[in-house]
Amino acid sequence: MAKILGNFLLLLLFIVPTVIIFSEQGKMSNLAFAQDAMEGEDDEATVETEAGAEEEAVDEAPLTDQEEEEEDIQTLKPSPDADTFILFTKPNNPLELPAGKQVRILVGFTNKGNVDFNVESMEASFRYPQDYSFFLQNFTAMVFSTVIESHKQATFEYGFIPNEAFSSRPFGLSVTLNYKDAEGNVFQSAVFNETIQVVEPDEGLDGETFFLYVFLAAIIILLLVGVQQLVSNFGRKRMAKPRQPVEMGTQNSDVDYDWLPKETLQSLNKSPKRSPKPKQSPRQRRNLRSTGSGDD
Amino acid sequence: MKLWWAALILSFGCFLPTFGEEESEARLLVSKNILNQYLVEGKDLTVEYKVFNVGGKVAFDVVLNDNSFPQSSFTPVSGSLKATWERITPNSNVTHAVILKPLKSGYFNFTSADVSYLTSEESKERTFGYSSFPGEGGIVPQREFDRRFSPHVLDWLVFAFMTLPSLGIPYLLWYSSKSKYDQPKPKKN
Repeated sequence: MAKILGNFLLLLLFIVPTVIIFSEQGKMSNLAFAQDAMEGEDDEATVETEAGAEEEAVDEAPLTDQEEEEEDIQTLKPSPDADTFILFTKPNNPLELPAGKQVRILVGFTNKGNVDFNVESMEASFRYPQDYSFFLQNFTAMVFSTVIESHKQATFEYGFIPNEAFSSRPFGLSVTLNYKDAEGNVFQSAVFNETIQVVEPDEGLDGETFFLYVFLAAIIILLLVGVQQLVSNFGRKRMAKPRQPVEMGTQNSDVDYDWLPKETLQSLNKSPKRSPKPKQSPRQRRNLRSTGSGDD
Repeated sequence: MKLWWAALILSFGCFLPTFGEEESEARLLVSKNILNQYLVEGKDLTVEYKVFNVGGKVAFDVVLNDNSFPQSSFTPVSGSLKATWERITPNSNVTHAVILKPLKSGYFNFTSADVSYLTSEESKERTFGYSSFPGEGGIVPQREFDRRFSPHVLDWLVFAFMTLPSLGIPYLLWYSSKSKYDQPKPKKN
């Protein structure tokens, strides 16, 4: 009985930690998923408003809705008491807009009537130049909701970035201003409604080409270093050949003995012939020679 | 002869509309922008005003006044929030900049400045207008900004000091043993 209980306890000891570990993992994965979802939301939130508009434009599905809107829009007319003016501040020429670069416009609004106007929003869109009811890129509407009293003026700023993919093509750019008068009548002015050309921005130094050149320069330098290394190796081999006999010279007998006194010279000439050869072993001699040359 | 008259009248008719266009009054567009990318409490903030005269005549006595910065949240560092120009010629623009220092952090709604001018020399009535407005902007607290952008020299020094024992002790151990075994070397040579 006690044995069974002991076995059961052992089993429990094995199972409980694994269960705990698995459950913890499960929780962790849940947490991670939650975080991922949050990050995704964050990304969407930080995306520039223009980019968001591009996505909308890319989606083909809501096109029918836009067309319906367009039909509604065409019934709206500008108020005779409102006067608008448009000025392109970023590229001065509105007919050639650089792709992928910000375009800034100023729209002036004058209230010539006797009732207040409430300027609600401004929006811009790229349309197909042959058919203005066909939207190619919709830009984010800017909400102003400012009241302009009678005989007053106001300026509104609007910025958008034409998509980079739209370079060197004509587009119908239409900028519209939506406003209401004090009685709640809704008006809309087409501030700008013309066919424009989206051009490629003429940058002097593109990042890609710059690094291409840097890479080319690096390759050339590498090649030069390799060539230099090769040449120096080759030269050393050639230089080394004449040097070797010079070094051998110390071991050969053509050493200048002029500086030695004659007695010692004679003794030197005599002694090696008789004595050292039989007495010394060849190994000892070699050692002596090597140490001698090392000292030199 | 009738044909001649018709031609004369036609040519006059062509000239008349252009006459009308030349008569257009001065018209100002005013943009107000904040040039800083990060608005930081206690650090300079540059506001730029651009006045464009897009009308056909000179604008006289242009007064630009910005009352949208309350004293409690902003102090001027340089420049004035009120600017005047005697005349702004057509198809030209002028720029005015003010440097302010935000005193509080948090969100602030940057609203429009007021502008008033005479559309021509004879006109008595001043034309009033509003500039464009940058909208709401978040002013970052100083501490938050430092946390993100300061070089963190002190932090790195502390880090270096704290990693010193874990790097230094093994090095000392190695060096002591190395010097112990290195000493006989010079004897050999």
